Amino acid sequence: MKKMIYPFMALLIISSSAFTIIKSQDWKIGENYTVKFTSSDPSGVFTGLKGTVNFDEKNLGTSKFDVTVDVASINTGNGMQNTHAKSAQWFDVEKYPSIKFTSSAITKTATGYEAKGTLDIHGVQKEAVVPFTFQNNTFTGSFDVNRDDFNLNPSNGKAAKIIKVELVVPVTKA
Amino acid sequence: MVKRLFFWGITAGILSAVASIIYNKIFTFAFTYKGIPDFSRIINIPVLIGTNLIAGLLAAGGFWAALRLFKKNGELIFNILFSILSFASILSPISAKLPLDLKNIELFPLLAIPMHFFPVIAWFTIRPFFAGNLYSR
Repeated sequence: MKKMIYPFMALLIISSSAFTIIKSQDWKIGENYTVKFTSSDPSGVFTGLKGTVNFDEKNLGTSKFDVTVDVASINTGNGMQNTHAKSAQWFDVEKYPSIKFTSSAITKTATGYEAKGTLDIHGVQKEAVVPFTFQNNTFTGSFDVNRDDFNLNPSNGKAAKIIKVELVVPVTKA
Repeated sequence: MVKRLFFWGITAGILSAVASIIYNKIFTFAFTYKGIPDFSRIINIPVLIGTNLIAGLLAAGGFWAALRLFKKNGELIFNILFSILSFASILSPISAKLPLDLKNIELFPLLAIPMHFFPVIAWFTIRPFFAGNLYSR
């Protein structure tokens, strides 16, 4: 009987420890989201956002964003510009069909939160910080992207270099 | 002559509007599936009637001015200019910035470009009814 006490204790510790692992809340991305980009030229929206959103205001350590945007869903409001944006000169949709953001850490700030992570555009991965707020089950954030950093037609001097990306993503509990 | 040109312009505008409305219906029938694309916010019956009547009346005004300026060569110069302007105007649907919530906007030029030629076609089509003895008056 004494021999059994240690395996029993180990089992007890393991099983009770399992309850201490807190999983953050999973959220499902709602349909009425907007992923908008603005600059002097071009500006528009992406309509193909999907991914996993784990976010808990009380447990930011376990929170994580892993989202992708379908580049082919770009809409600048002009058909010719859309085709041009998808071409090899810009996003090269055939080769790089999606934009990815994977967070590595989410921290609280004075105005809301900040998601640090890797932004993957056009096959180039860069560290990025996305400040955001979370109110009424809606994530709202904005950040700037320098298209030169992602090798998006750097020789083009006419289009704006800095593109402002604005996100409004309503979510529901998964 | 002004009265005759006014009715020429109005008639060309009406004919061109009718052609545009028919073409809009054909386009919708041929390319719209489950309501996509839906360009009715930009191109609809009131817009088509309005723009075509304006185009017809502007053509009448332009024709009148051309006859005044260039006398007997006026019609030749006006016809060339009207055709060139109609052709040049196709740049506007190609470069148009549409509302961002519209889908399949690549098809928009396919709808709008042919319509840009309807006023000039209508103007030339009804010429015999209005310009028969224009120079003798």
